[in-house]
Amino acid sequence: MTKPRIVVTVNGDGTVSAETLDILGDQCLDYIAVLEDLIGGRVESSAFTDDYTRQHHTAQEQQVNRDVDPA
Amino acid sequence: MSVSLLLVPLAMAGAAAVQARAGGKSDGVCDVRTRMRDVTLLGEALRDTGATVVTSGETLTAVWGETKASATFTRDAEGIWGAHFTGVQQDRAIELVTAVDDAYGRRVQRAVLERLRDQAPAAGLRLESESVTDDAVRLVFEVERERA
Repeated sequence: MTKPRIVVTVNGDGTVSAETLDILGDQCLDYIAVLEDLIGGRVESSAFTDDYTRQHHTAQEQQVNRDVDPA
Repeated sequence: MSVSLLLVPLAMAGAAAVQARAGGKSDGVCDVRTRMRDVTLLGEALRDTGATVVTSGETLTAVWGETKASATFTRDAEGIWGAHFTGVQQDRAIELVTAVDDAYGRRVQRAVLERLRDQAPAAGLRLESESVTDDAVRLVFEVERERA
């Protein structure tokens, strides 16, 4: 299993871009505050990637499957 | 991959590369607003551009030796530094502030990198790799413990 990662790019103009990798669904949102603390700044803009939706659905499906009472 | 972010350090008032706005006046007096907030980084950036800097209270005076151009930097109500030029054409004033802004960006980059390297381990992030592309530095952190 791939370990979760965060890729941070610090640009020459002082701005910072960051992406979370392999962090499922809403868990990635927890890292927004972590990154703001780490760089001493604030988020100017954010966007979910395609994988967020895919992973979010996968997580929901797994939850539904767990909720189903086997016959 | 799940979320991508653009972050701006508090030392800067915005993400735009240059936010210099000049209010030119006919008598050679020119005011230029910047995006800079941090007085220490501003002083370092001014020196990076070859200026001699004198600090007096809440005012920085910069003199560029080659051209004898000078500017007085003061903060506005939002804590953002602006430059006041006298005897300098507006184009030249913007050129100088743009050079200071570029140097300031590099100073902010250096400060942010230092902060990231120092504080990431305490946040549960292990630096896995670091690479430089053009003027950007890319850090890859492995999440050692996921947040509850």
